Amino acid sequence: MYLELSHLKKSFGEKTVVEDLTLSLPQGELLCILGSSGCGKTTTLNMIGGFLAPDSGQILVDGEDITAIPPERRPVTTVFQSYGLFPHMTVLQNVVYGLKFQRIRRAEAREKGLRYLEMVGLADYAGAYIHEISGGQQQRVALARALIVEPKLCLLDEPFSNLDAALRVKMRQELKSLQRELGMTMVFVTHDQEEALILADRMAIMEQGRVLQYDAPLHIYHNPVSPFVADFLGLKDLEWRQDGALLKIIRRDDKEEHHAG
Amino acid sequence: MNNRGHNTQERASLRDALFGVPHLSGGRRPGERKGGALTAGSLLDKAILLLLLGAVCLFVLWPMACILLRSLGDGEGGFTLAAYAQVWSRYRENLWNSVFVGVLSALACTVFSTAAAIFIATRRGWVKMACMALLLITMVSPPFVSSLAYIQLYGRRGWITYRLLGISWDPYNCWGVIWMQSISFVPLNTLLLIGILSKLDTGSLQAARDLGARPAAILRDVVLPLMGPGILVSLLLSFVRSLSDYGTPVIIGGRFSTIASEIYLQLVGYSDLEKSSAMNMFLLLPAIAAFFLYRYLMRRSDKLSEGSRSRQGRLELSLSRCGPVGIGIAAVSILFFLMMVLQYGCIFLAGFLKSTKGVYSFTLRNWEELWRLDAATMVRSVVYALIVSLAGTLFAMLFAYYMERRRVPGRSFFDCVATLPYMLPGTCFGIGYILAFNHEPLKLTGTAVIVLANMLFKQLPTATKICSASLTQVPLALERSARDLGGGQLAVLRDVILPSLRPAFLSCFVYNFSSSMTTAGAIIFLINPGKKLAVFKLFDAVYTGDYAVASLIASVIIVIVLAVEGLAYLITWKGGERNVS
Amino acid sequence: MKKKLTALLLVLAMAFTLVACGTGADNGGSNAADNTANNTANNTANNAADDAESEAPELSGTMKVVATSESYVTLFDKFTEETGVTVELLSMSSGEVLSKLRAEGGTPSADLWFGGGIDAFMSAKEDGLLEQVNFDAAADLAAEYKDSENYWFSKGITIVGFLLNNTLMGELNLTAPASWSDLLDESYAGEIIMSNPAVSGTNYAVVNALLQTMGEEEGWNYFDGLNSNIAYYAKRGSDPSNKVISDEYAIGITYIDGTIEALLEDYDVTIVYPEDGIPWVPEGVAVFKNAENVDAAKYFVEWLFSNDKNLQLLAEIDQKTSVKAIKPTMEGIDLSYDTGILMDEDLSLFGSERDAILAQFETLMGDKAVDE
Repeated sequence: MYLELSHLKKSFGEKTVVEDLTLSLPQGELLCILGSSGCGKTTTLNMIGGFLAPDSGQILVDGEDITAIPPERRPVTTVFQSYGLFPHMTVLQNVVYGLKFQRIRRAEAREKGLRYLEMVGLADYAGAYIHEISGGQQQRVALARALIVEPKLCLLDEPFSNLDAALRVKMRQELKSLQRELGMTMVFVTHDQEEALILADRMAIMEQGRVLQYDAPLHIYHNPVSPFVADFLGLKDLEWRQDGALLKIIRRDDKEEHHAG
Repeated sequence: MNNRGHNTQERASLRDALFGVPHLSGGRRPGERKGGALTAGSLLDKAILLLLLGAVCLFVLWPMACILLRSLGDGEGGFTLAAYAQVWSRYRENLWNSVFVGVLSALACTVFSTAAAIFIATRRGWVKMACMALLLITMVSPPFVSSLAYIQLYGRRGWITYRLLGISWDPYNCWGVIWMQSISFVPLNTLLLIGILSKLDTGSLQAARDLGARPAAILRDVVLPLMGPGILVSLLLSFVRSLSDYGTPVIIGGRFSTIASEIYLQLVGYSDLEKSSAMNMFLLLPAIAAFFLYRYLMRRSDKLSEGSRSRQGRLELSLSRCGPVGIGIAAVSILFFLMMVLQYGCIFLAGFLKSTKGVYSFTLRNWEELWRLDAATMVRSVVYALIVSLAGTLFAMLFAYYMERRRVPGRSFFDCVATLPYMLPGTCFGIGYILAFNHEPLKLTGTAVIVLANMLFKQLPTATKICSASLTQVPLALERSARDLGGGQLAVLRDVILPSLRPAFLSCFVYNFSSSMTTAGAIIFLINPGKKLAVFKLFDAVYTGDYAVASLIASVIIVIVLAVEGLAYLITWKGGERNVS
Repeated sequence: MKKKLTALLLVLAMAFTLVACGTGADNGGSNAADNTANNTANNTANNAADDAESEAPELSGTMKVVATSESYVTLFDKFTEETGVTVELLSMSSGEVLSKLRAEGGTPSADLWFGGGIDAFMSAKEDGLLEQVNFDAAADLAAEYKDSENYWFSKGITIVGFLLNNTLMGELNLTAPASWSDLLDESYAGEIIMSNPAVSGTNYAVVNALLQTMGEEEGWNYFDGLNSNIAYYAKRGSDPSNKVISDEYAIGITYIDGTIEALLEDYDVTIVYPEDGIPWVPEGVAVFKNAENVDAAKYFVEWLFSNDKNLQLLAEIDQKTSVKAIKPTMEGIDLSYDTGILMDEDLSLFGSERDAILAQFETLMGDKAVDE
């Protein structure tokens, strides 16, 4: 498998936050870790990103053990919930920042940066400063910045939580197609069931530091392992059907097509 | 997680509120909708505002106007520009010297402050505590004694330069002044920068690291640029402070003199009020320019932080892994802290040393000398300092609130006026007070009021800046919700603004108290012979050359200041705890 | 820890009580001592207007004094004891006093001016800031040390000499200068320190006296030469002696009095009385015009100069015998030096030439500054 997490454990003081977590993910797929706040999903992500060292366990990416490698040398990038954009740099400078450490010539970096900005639809904003663009645009800058260094794995920590509902739906769509286009392996953390169901190739449902169920969304939908999972996903309110590659969610109460991913 | 991420609209409103764009259509506020009549609360609100502006006009603008008038006076009731012409033709050199020293001091000081701030922010445990404690101690800088300690350590026969290193050099020149000034401005600037570092968006740091940036690159690409506005503010504050500092050039300038030391000389040597007033007006030009630059930079800094959805946390950065820059920062900081330890150690030690024909021996004789100081003087100093600190801090909080959050007509003007005392040498501000308050109906000379007001308004600019900085952290939404729930302007002030300024209260109090206890310059002209302050004992000892007694008085002042500040800390801390539970 | 806190709280509590006293109404305080002080002060204000001047006036209230040093407390304590007038003392340099006086524009905040170079007193008289004090014993005072119209008097004479740091002199292989002309020797370059004559009355006396003795042209040539040996002109009067005892400079041009003589005990220094003449300057005493308690201040001047015991006490504090020169009729004190070694100075020129001399001196000093 491309990404393998085996027996990860992390506790803060007395409190165990992640307990014996084992997951694996093939290349080019998007894994959603879904759980309510405090379930350990962000901690897991931080361990993959290198910002937290696991107490025990192993993280392998593309066969390489990266457990002990500091974040700046991991082939992994993160899109942070707060974006972590550099306010003193322009959009383009933000995007190409990671290329500085890959010995890429300035002109080449700029060209690549503009290409990625184009990809996320921000070609016109290359010279703008972060405070001059909207929240959705900031989100896209963060995404482009994380993808441009061509990481083996891209992590997204509730990236859409700061956006309004309509924008969130749009961004989901964009992210999914971008991920497909680039064949990027991604781990996406969220507490939004809808988001997870729509985005995920594989989905892990976490609660109190444990993975309750790990499978394709459709499979989980049909076979929730426990009433908790079923309840958490709100399955009783949703109707779910496959329509080619697209998934549609229809709320049972109004039968109105809500949106598509 | 610190939830400081307001939505964009709120941010925009905050900016509008800060920069004077009307943020409610029609300019009406929710509170005013209920009945057109003025309520008691809003009357009181207006009264407070008028009181603040009135006080600034009376205690800053009026004395300044008196200085201006005096500089234009020809001694016989007419007006002339003679003093200006004379200053321009004769003292241009000094003006140039002032700017030269100001620029270099500001640069050196900022290098030291930046390094020390980064050093402290990246340290943990006892090293951090020790450095912070040292900064707090060195915030208390009794006049003259520091310069004397400097001579003792680095003079022609200094303990370090001559006795230890065997260097024979002359410290009495502009380089000595620059060195001494930059060192003495560091503590306040470092505290300012540490404040900025603690508010740094750690998301940016994490992102940079995630993208492959090593610590050195993070420092260069993220930390330093984000500190940028703070660094510039430190540069400007030090520059202006250097312009108005007369003590250092007077004591260790040798033949080198700046406008500020020349003003002192004109007052003390020639008693030429016209010329020294005119010199002050010259000094104001670069200072006011610096003020407007400061305001511009602060606005830009607010804009920058606006863009980051800030998460605040500790600065995770390993200096030892930052390459040459990191080593440089650590080295500069350690050098600075070492010099501070030496300087203050020298002050403390000198109180117990007796030199007999070049041989030093331990003595307690100076202590006996000290006991002869009447306790009343010490107590009076503490009382005055307490009054100024409490009143000054309250004044600064209110003033900052009205200036930052409310649409007061002529706000820029009042803000600038209130900053003027920072830009003037203390002696001159004192003379301004005598000119302004020696005649009926404003006869205040000889009273305690004039002394207290002088200290309060001299320190107001810095105190207000401390409060403003803290105020920008209070989301406008909080203020809005109080209004929304039916609270008037006054309730907002009482229930929202003042409580959220608690941290600012402490730093403001600490600043005010230590400055009041060590105030020099202005006070010599204002104090009533019957109501002396501890610093006068210090002046007297310095003047008669009794360095040991001077050091001892300085040490006692430092200890008192630290004790009172510790107490203030305990009280606010306890109060804070009670509020939380 | 607890004890310390309690102590601190106590101080604070005391502090607040005092604040209450200070800011409250005159009678509102609880501190007895403060109250009496306040009440007496009030009485004075009333009495001063009513009471006509008399030979031995009923005195009360407070007399505010600006003096060169706090050490005169014992003298003023004696005055308080004999007259009931409380004295408040503040030390200020004469330049500061003059600036303050000018800023106050005729309503001075102090009553008596005690000590300081006579040039400042002359300036103040010229500006009409001093009060005339006529009393019988004034006739006994030597005419050359007081104002002819009794606007100022002298409480003593400051003489000027050199203070040498023996260690430095030895290390630098310097021979001790014996006279003013010796100071021009090139070997002293950068090792002599003196105060700016604008700030220091004594050093102004040096300049004025040497100019009077040598004549304008030769005098200025002398200071031009001396200038190149002077390290710098200190902006405070006590700096030269302080710098010499702290081993910073080898030679200081400084006032010489008991405090300087006392230095010989603890430091390896020598005092030199220049053999080609000792410049001197009287230390003034004057009463401020329009002061709140003019009567007390005037009486103090009379009290001081009329009674030899008071002058003796003053001489002890100052550690100077020069009062004998000021009041030749005085008993019980002998002048420790012959007035013959003092330079011939026409004091009347001190005040009138001050501005011109200082202006020229400023130019002379400035030239050196430009060289650097």
